[in-house]
Amino acid sequence: MLSLSAIQKSFPGVRALGGVDLDVRGGEVHALVGENGAGKSTMIKIIAGAYQPNAGTIRLAGEVVRWSGPEAAKRAGIHVIYQEFVLFPNLSVAENIMVGNEIRGRFGLIDHKATAAAAARILDRLGVRLDVAAPAGSLSIADQQMVEIAKALVHEVRVLILDEPSAVLSTKEVDLLFGVVRQLRAQGVAVIYVSHRLDEIFALCDRVTILKDGLKVATRAIADTDHDGLVRLMVGRDLAQYFPPKAANPPADGPAALAFRGVSVPGRVRDATLAVRPGEIVGLAGLIGAGRTELALAAFGILPMTGTIEVKGQALRRADAQHLIRAGVGFVTEDRKGQGLFMNLDVARNVTGASLSSYLRGGFVSDKAEQIAAREEIAHFAVACRGPAGAVDSLSGGNQQKILFGRWTRACRTALILDEPTRGVDVGAKSEIYRIMRTLADSGVGILMISSELQEVVGMSDRVVVMREGAISGELTGERITEEDIMKLAAQSGRKAA
Amino acid sequence: MTSLDPPHQTPPQTPRQNTRLKQAFGRNAPLLVVIVLIIAMVIAGALMTDRFLTLRNFTNIVEQSTGLGLVSLGQTFAVLTAGIDLSVGSVMSLASTLASGLIDKDVAQAAWVIPMVLLLCALIGATNGLLIHQLGIHPLIVTLGTGTVLQGLTLLYALSPVGGMPRALEFVAYETVLGVPIGAAIMMLLFLAAAVFLGHTRAGRDIYAFGDDAEAARLVGINRARVLLTVYGFSGLMAGIAGVYLAIRFGVGQPYLGVNYTLSSITPVVVGGTMLSGGRGGVLGTLLGVFLVGVLNNLLNFLQVSTHFQLVAQGAIIIAAVSIYVDTRRSRT
Repeated sequence: MLSLSAIQKSFPGVRALGGVDLDVRGGEVHALVGENGAGKSTMIKIIAGAYQPNAGTIRLAGEVVRWSGPEAAKRAGIHVIYQEFVLFPNLSVAENIMVGNEIRGRFGLIDHKATAAAAARILDRLGVRLDVAAPAGSLSIADQQMVEIAKALVHEVRVLILDEPSAVLSTKEVDLLFGVVRQLRAQGVAVIYVSHRLDEIFALCDRVTILKDGLKVATRAIADTDHDGLVRLMVGRDLAQYFPPKAANPPADGPAALAFRGVSVPGRVRDATLAVRPGEIVGLAGLIGAGRTELALAAFGILPMTGTIEVKGQALRRADAQHLIRAGVGFVTEDRKGQGLFMNLDVARNVTGASLSSYLRGGFVSDKAEQIAAREEIAHFAVACRGPAGAVDSLSGGNQQKILFGRWTRACRTALILDEPTRGVDVGAKSEIYRIMRTLADSGVGILMISSELQEVVGMSDRVVVMREGAISGELTGERITEEDIMKLAAQSGRKAA
Repeated sequence: MTSLDPPHQTPPQTPRQNTRLKQAFGRNAPLLVVIVLIIAMVIAGALMTDRFLTLRNFTNIVEQSTGLGLVSLGQTFAVLTAGIDLSVGSVMSLASTLASGLIDKDVAQAAWVIPMVLLLCALIGATNGLLIHQLGIHPLIVTLGTGTVLQGLTLLYALSPVGGMPRALEFVAYETVLGVPIGAAIMMLLFLAAAVFLGHTRAGRDIYAFGDDAEAARLVGINRARVLLTVYGFSGLMAGIAGVYLAIRFGVGQPYLGVNYTLSSITPVVVGGTMLSGGRGGVLGTLLGVFLVGVLNNLLNFLQVSTHFQLVAQGAIIIAAVSIYVDTRRSRT
C-alpha cells in the first residue's frame, strides 16, 4: 500500500533521516519503534506531507507521489492521529467528525440531521457507541481519540498513522483502541503504529520496523522476534565518546544534596523517594508521561504534592521555588521558552533572574554588579551573544541553554534539577553542556538529570533511577547502567524490577 | 566555582553594523517615534501662531497633562504585568468626590482627609490585585467589575459636585516653579521615582519578569501575589492622587470626573511603547505619550476645532504611532 525508499531528510546541522526504507501493506498493522530522536516523527511527517524529503521516493498503491502539503496527503487517504487532539470542545461529536464536510440541504444550509446520521454511520464502522450530539469536550480522552479516528474515516482511508496513541489511555481504553485498529485492519487499511510500549506492539502489530539515529535497523515480523531481541535492536550502539569521564570516587556519605521522600502528585506521581548526593549525577529515566517532570514541577510549587523535599538533610517547610532557591536548588526546565527564559528581556536580566538579591547595593540593583555577573557567565559558558544587553530570543538553543545554566549556577550551589538539558541543542553544544554538568558535579553540586535520551542517561549518570507510570520502577548503578536495563524498567509492565 | 574551560571557544558573533543600528533603534523606537511626533507638532504650532511657542502656553500644556500623567503612570504598571486597570476612572471619581465632600472647603479637614482618601484608593487597588490573584480571573474583568461598583458607590454618595476644596490648596495646581506648575513637577518626580523603582529595585524587576513570562517568574521564586498587589495598589493610589489633584484644580469634586480617564489612561501607555503583552516598555515612554496627547490637544485648541475632534485625532495617533513601532519590531527579526 505504502512504500518509502531511501528517504533522506536533513535540518540545518542535523541529519534526521539518512536513507530509510519502509514498506507497509494494506491490512497490516506496522509498528514503528526507536528511541527519541531516532527519526520516527520525521518519518511520519514526511508520509503525511508535513515535511518534504530531501531525497527518496514515496509510493502509494504503486504510484510515485509527491505531497505539496498535508492536505494533499489527506486527499490521497493518508491520515495521522497525533497525541494532541484537534477537536472543537464546544461542538458536538457529529460536528467535529464532519467539520468541513457537512451535508448540505436546501438553500445550501447544513442539514444537521443528515450530518449527524453520517457521523453515526462512521462510528458504527468503528464499532464505537457514542452520542453524536454530545459536545466533544465532555468526552473522555479515549472517546475523543475515537472521534479523531472517525474524522479520518469521513474520507477514504488508505493509511492511518497512530502516533503514540496509547500514551494518554488507561489499560481498558487501550483494549478499545485495539479493537478499532483491528477493525480497520480487517477493512484493508494500512496502519502505522508508533509506540514506546513494547507489550502493545507484540499484542497488536504484524510487523515492526526499528529506526535508530535516522537509519533503519531492521524490519521484522512480530512472530519472528521477542521482547529482548527488539530492545537490543533499538539500543545496540557504541556509546559516543563525547561524554566526559564519570565521577572518579563514589560520592561521600552524609546528607543528600537533594532528596524526595514519599512524594506524590495527584494523578501523576505515586510515592516517589529518591536522593541525590553532593557531586553525583543521577539520571532520571523513563518514558514520556512517566511523571519525571511532574516530580520537579511539584518540588518547585507548580503542581500540588504531598511528601517532603529535603535539602542537605533538612526538610523544607514548603515545597516552592522560593524555598528551594534559598536552600540552593535550581531547576533548568525542559520548556526553555515557556518556563525558562524571559524572552523579551536582555541577557543580563536573564542571567541574574534567580539571584537578584546578590546585586543589590543599598536596596537598589547595581547596574555594574549585574553587568559584571552577566559578563562572567557569558565568558564562563562561552555564550555566543552580543553581550549583556543583547536579546535572548535570537540566540541558538545551545546558547539559550547556557544562559539558563548561568542563571542557575549563580543562584544555586547545592543541587540542580536539569530537565532534558540538551533538548533542541546541536551536537557541539551538547558536548559542552555535558562537560559543564560534570564540572559542576565535581565541584560538589548534586545533579538530577531528567532525560529521555537513553544514550545521554547512560553516558552521564553515576546512578540511574527509572520511573514508570508515576512510580519509581528501579535503580541502576555502575555496570548495570545500560540502555537495555533502563528500557526494561521503563517500558515493561507485569514483571517487577529488582 | 571551579573554572570551566569551554571545549571549543565559539567566537562571539560580530554583528553587522546596520543590525546594531537597527536593534538600537528597535528597542527605543517608541520613544523616538513619540519624540519626533511631538517635535513635528511643536513646529507646526510655532508656524501657525506666535502664541504657541511661549512659556505661558508651555505651562498651560504641562498643567493640562498632569491629571492624565498621574493616572497613566499607574496604568503603566498594570500593563507591564500584561494586565490592565479599568477601575482607575472610577477611583478618580470616588477620590475627588469623597475628598471634596468631606473637606467642604475646610483646610483643617484636608490634612487628614486627603491622606485617608489616598490610602483608601491604594487599598482599593490592592483589592483588585488580590482578586486577580485569588480568583485567577483576567484583570480586565476584575477591574471592570470593581470599577463599575465604585462608580455606583460614588453616585450613591453624591449625584452632582459636592462640597469644595479649600482655596489654600490651589497653589498646587497653579503656582509655578521655573514655568512648571507644582502639581506637574510632582507628577514628573513621581515618574522619575517610578523609573528608578522599576529598573533598580527587586520589586520593580519582578514586575518586568512576571509580565514577560509568569511561569518562568514563578520558577525563579517571584511571588505572584506580591507583584499583583504592588501593581494594582500603586495604580489605585495614582488614580486617587489624580482625582484629588483635579478636585483641587477645579475647586470641587465631581462624581463623573474619571469617566473618560479609564480608556484615556491607556493611550499614553501604548503610544509610549509599553506592550499589552507585558514585560516590555516603561514609564519614560508613558510620560512622553502624555505630553504627546497634551501638545496635540493644545494644538487643536489653537485651530479652534471642536473638542470632539480631539478624540478623533487621539484615536488616529494611537494607531499611527503604534503601527510604526510594530513595524520596526517586525523588521528586526
